[in-house]
Parts: sequence; structure tokens; C-alpha cells
Amino acid sequence: MLSNGGFIAILLFLFWPSWSISGTQPAPIEALRTEVQSLQQEVSRLEEVNQGLRRMLRELDDDEVYLVVDTESNRLSLRQGGDVLHVAKCGTGSRNSIDEDAGRNWYFESPMGSFTVLGKERNPVWIRPDWSYVEENMPIPAENDPDRLVRDVLGKYALLLGNGYKIHGTKYTNLLGTHFTHGCVSLGDDDLEVIYKSVKIGTKVYLY
Amino acid sequence: MRSGMNRKTVGTILILSLFLMAADGGGDARDERESLNELQQSLRARIETLAKEQDFLLFQKAMYASDSKYLILNVTAKTGQLKYKNRVLKDFHFQLQGKVSGNKLRTGMLVLDKKTEEKSGRHVLIFGDALILQWKRSAVPAREKNIPFITLTKRDLQSVFYAVEPGARTYVLR
Repeated sequence: MLSNGGFIAILLFLFWPSWSISGTQPAPIEALRTEVQSLQQEVSRLEEVNQGLRRMLRELDDDEVYLVVDTESNRLSLRQGGDVLHVAKCGTGSRNSIDEDAGRNWYFESPMGSFTVLGKERNPVWIRPDWSYVEENMPIPAENDPDRLVRDVLGKYALLLGNGYKIHGTKYTNLLGTHFTHGCVSLGDDDLEVIYKSVKIGTKVYLY
Repeated sequence: MRSGMNRKTVGTILILSLFLMAADGGGDARDERESLNELQQSLRARIETLAKEQDFLLFQKAMYASDSKYLILNVTAKTGQLKYKNRVLKDFHFQLQGKVSGNKLRTGMLVLDKKTEEKSGRHVLIFGDALILQWKRSAVPAREKNIPFITLTKRDLQSVFYAVEPGARTYVLR
């Protein structure tokens, strides 16, 4: 038979609130309500800030098409937002150099960075630069010599990027996808037509 | 006499216990506490998600204003982008191989620590002790073999390799 004390102890064990046994008293319910309320406020604050940031980023985005030239893999892509509209094999700078006896030298590399289409030309004429004569061991003509004007070597179209660099056609279509140019970006005829008709003066061009 | 006293004691203790339980809040209060606890947990999880999202949005905002190219790597989709400001320059896919799972990769912003170029175009991009971008395992220097890595195709890695410089930022998303 249990003593009174033992009996009382068992009953207390059975009925005493569980937190008393574990020894950890929960926060008063009012404190819990307050914390939940402050968490809700924090969620609202974060949602509001994120919404503002998303809106700001959206405003910086635009629907303009742009060109990207990967000079490592020799690929040109026409893009709009996150979409790729067209991809073409292209040629970029050969990374070779030539030296002139007079001491001048040229290194043929495509320029890197952000450019803008400054002009669009149909049936472009190539004004043959000095290095082209040096490369072929030919005498360099005077600056205004009509011999420098060469037709039908840049394809039907050209996009001007500044400093003499262009996106244009080529006769050496078998070399597209390699580094073979003197710095310009070369394309095959069909791709060049697509690109020429898709961009306008002011279109951004990124070479990397 | 003794059993009568026991009954009295039991009755007193029962009343006392019920009183204490009622003082603890009773059934209604317990229900409210439970639902508040659940709400608290879900709000904390939501805050964590929103804070991560904010971190990425702030990264994008900073990069839109920066003049540097950067990478975004999505570990779940196993896709990456090379970007400049708001423009995508390149999309690529990558693989998580060997013991490395997406969960081991640190998420958030990483900074390109160094670029190494071994013979035969074996390029490696090293982001401290957090991540390596490679196309061939043998290209990774021995002392960096224990760093989590992802593998790109040779062509993609070469394009990315020459596009970024040490100090370039990458954001790893899950």
C-alpha cells in the first residue's frame, strides 16, 4: 500500500503540466503573439524592398536586340533579353603580327568590350590599309591612291563599329569559326544579311 | 479512516492540478500556442527565402552598375550565364561530378581568386576554397583538388576563362 506522500507524488507527476517536468517554461503567449507580429512585419518589409528592387531591375532591362561576339569560339549571336535569336560562325582577329622594315608593326586582334553600331553600309568598299601592302610585300601607295579602293571583298553589307573595325562579309567562308581576320568580324553571306537587317544604328555590340 | 483521507487528498490534488492546467492556458490557449508556433516557423522560413532573394537582387543591381563581366551559376538547373550589365553574353551548361553534389556548393556571391592555364589549354578558374570551374580534372592543381568543382565543356570554359579576370564576381544560386 502506498503512503499518502507516494500517492500524492504519483498524482502530481501525472497531472502536473508538462513544462514543469521538463523545467523549461514557455514564453508567455502574449510574447509569442508579439514575436509573430514582428515577424509578419519583417516579411512585409522584405517583400516590399524586393518588389522595389525587381521593378528597378526590370526598368533597366529593355527589349532592344544586341550582338555578342565570342572571340574564343568565334561565334556571333543576335540576342534580345534572355533570348538567342540567331547564332552564326564568324571569323575574328588572327592574333598574328607583321613587321614593316621601316619599323612599324601590326598585331591583328579583334577589339574587346562594348561597342555601338555607328553606321550601316550596303556594298561596302574596302579602303586598303598600309598593312595589307606590307603583308603582300607590295609598295605602299599614297594615301589617296585609288588603288586603295577595293570592291567586292567585304560582302554585301557592313556594320561600322568605329576605329576601322567592322562586321562584314568574307570570301574565305571556309575559315569561318576560326581566327583569321585582321581584327574585323567576318560572317557568311546569309548570316550577314540576317544580322544587317536585324540591327539599327545604335545597336549595342559586345565583343569578349 | 485512512481510505477516506486518501480520497480527500486525491480530490484536492485533482482540483489543484486542473487549476494549474487551467492557469497554463487550458485547451484553447494550447491550440493558439501551437498555431502561433507553426506560424512563427513558416514566417522565419519565408524571411530566410526573402533575404536570399534580396541578396541576389542586390547583387544584380550592383552588377548592372558595374563595368565588369560576371557569372551566374544555377546549381539546380546546372546552367550558367556570362553577363555584362543587364546583357547575357553567353549561356552554358555544366555538370556536378563525383562526390560533389549541389548541396556542397556554397551559395551566394563568390570572387574569382585566380586563373590557371596549364599546357594544352587546360584552364581552371578558382574561387578561393569555395569553387573551381574546370573542363578537365587533371588541370586542377593538386593542392586545390579538394575544392568543390563544376565541369564545363572545353569550348565554354575557354570562352568564360578569357572573358573574366581575377576579382570577377560569380553568384551561385540554388
